[in-house]
Amino acid sequence: MTLRADHVAGAFFIGLGLLVIALSGDLPTGSLSMPGSGFLPKIVAVLTIFFGFVLVARAKESKAFARLSWSDAKHAALVVTITAAAIALFEPLGFLTTNVLLIFALLAIIERRKLLPAAVYSVGVVVTTYILFVYVLKTPLEPGPLGF
Amino acid sequence: METTLHSLYLGFSVALQPANAWYAFLGCLVGTLVGVLPGIGPLAGISILLPVTFGLNATQAIIMLAGIYYGSQYGGSTTSILMRIPGEASSVMTCIDGYAMAKKGRAGAALCIAAIGSWIGGTFGVLVLTVVAPPLATIAIRFGPPEYTALLVLGLIFLAYMSSSSLIRTLLMACLGLLLGMIGIDNMTGHFRYSFNLAELGDGIGIVPVAVGLFGLGEILSTPSADAVKDIITPRLRDLLPTRKEWAEAAMPITRGTLLGFIIGIIPGSAHVISSFLSYALERRVSKHPDQFGKGAVAGVAGPETANNAASTGAFVPLLALGIPTSPITAVLIGALMIHGVSVGPTLVNEHPDVFWGFVASMYVGNLMLLALNLPLVSVFVTVLRIPYAYLYPLIIMFCIIGVYEVNNSVVDVWIMLIMGILGYALRKFDFDPAPLVLGLVISPILEQSLRQSLIMSNGNYFIFFSRPISLGLMMVSITLLALAAYAFVLKRTDWRSKLAAAEAGEAEK
Repeated sequence: MTLRADHVAGAFFIGLGLLVIALSGDLPTGSLSMPGSGFLPKIVAVLTIFFGFVLVARAKESKAFARLSWSDAKHAALVVTITAAAIALFEPLGFLTTNVLLIFALLAIIERRKLLPAAVYSVGVVVTTYILFVYVLKTPLEPGPLGF
Repeated sequence: METTLHSLYLGFSVALQPANAWYAFLGCLVGTLVGVLPGIGPLAGISILLPVTFGLNATQAIIMLAGIYYGSQYGGSTTSILMRIPGEASSVMTCIDGYAMAKKGRAGAALCIAAIGSWIGGTFGVLVLTVVAPPLATIAIRFGPPEYTALLVLGLIFLAYMSSSSLIRTLLMACLGLLLGMIGIDNMTGHFRYSFNLAELGDGIGIVPVAVGLFGLGEILSTPSADAVKDIITPRLRDLLPTRKEWAEAAMPITRGTLLGFIIGIIPGSAHVISSFLSYALERRVSKHPDQFGKGAVAGVAGPETANNAASTGAFVPLLALGIPTSPITAVLIGALMIHGVSVGPTLVNEHPDVFWGFVASMYVGNLMLLALNLPLVSVFVTVLRIPYAYLYPLIIMFCIIGVYEVNNSVVDVWIMLIMGILGYALRKFDFDPAPLVLGLVISPILEQSLRQSLIMSNGNYFIFFSRPISLGLMMVSITLLALAAYAFVLKRTDWRSKLAAAEAGEAEK
């Protein structure tokens, strides 16, 4: 049997539904006349499992899993890694430093741009954005250790 | 009628204040750019720019954000016609004949017809909204929990039925959204649900990190810059005016698109996307020369472009009259008003007449601004498309982070955005449309509360949804839609939804 995209997707949703039911163990279901906080989550989880099974049952209409194109996965993984690093640094370093580093890293590492133009562009757009938000739109941005 | 005219006068006095008119202009300009730039849809655009409105009052905020929404419908046609890339989903159908017209040297005429049609569709929508929304709000005050439950269930089923992807996929996305919406403190009992001892999750997951992650970051993850280069046809300004023959060919499609788009717009679902497809199908069916469709038929541009604008205005009727978000975009607009302390619903027109009528009047002004913006400045917008994508997407990521962080000053929200971006990337791989997920997330708390209140009211009797006239009517429509979907499924009929999916897939592959 060929493993198809909808086999994988359906299995994910079945697993998700089961996980929600498992996590809902301590939530009171209540009764029909007085539904508790676990009432609707459990109903929706059961529906998710049901629809997941339907997806698996009709999986032959979907693409073979092996035929899914993952050519963009390297780009996606790099963007996610750099963005995650920026999020981790956002509060300690503040808006200006973090975003200059973020844009510079995306341009230099992923796009292989020359370092000087990448650095000029990064500093230019981040400083412009900072001025626009803080001084024109009066929307404060996260300050760094030096107070800006 | 006199009251409506008086209220509209109040609205214009608010909308034409220089500051408010400026924010309408800014919204329209940004919206056009959002529509022009492939990869940022109106939902991501509105979400990212939400923090910019924090310093504004509620009227200015909603005027600007709505301007982004309907401005994006105008802008979306530019990339469709000049590059065969739909700037946003509702412009998919415009690609077919718009680009064919451009290749024949009629790009200017196609852009002009799209802009005029969009203006007529949008303005008609606002006219009807002006007349219909206030009386509808009066009726909506009589809505109780069973009616709200039935309406929200209908919204979800309608979205699933109208979706171009399969019914099951849409329902799965809606379920996922509903489950995400249940994270946090249960309003009725105070229980913490699925918050894993994270205090930030106590208030639940916000719409903004989810929408920005799924639609903004998710799109960037799926688009390596090497894939984003395309030829652009630059129209000559002197060719902007269509010929008399082209005007004649556009007249009836614009009329039909206006009516069709508005009617579809008021029904829950991703109305602006569906309306453009239905309009295209209708025009091809009634045309004396259906063979011309796909080869540069004027009706293939005029109808869909008019319909998607009429639909985006129509979507404001349930938003303003009932307080019900019928699409993810209107859901974010509700969120924006709530941030400014204005709760949307039947009481909005009486409690905040300046917001309600100022907003309605601003749409008349905004549609005129868009007409003035889109035609003379088309070459400027085309220039924006020449910015290399490699330089553009780092900027978008930065705005995603600012947009999400500024809502609650919470870095947890930014992590949620990143997770949603990865989820959005995966969902695209497996052909899931993330829009129903956002709608499910938004309506989840309202649906849960109204369902539980209904059951408490009826002492656990589900018949309450069938014993009250309004909820009975809404439930019957839901059941009919499910039966129609089951009929198509059992007979394996290729209906218009399958054709829409095929058309979208075809455009994506080209």
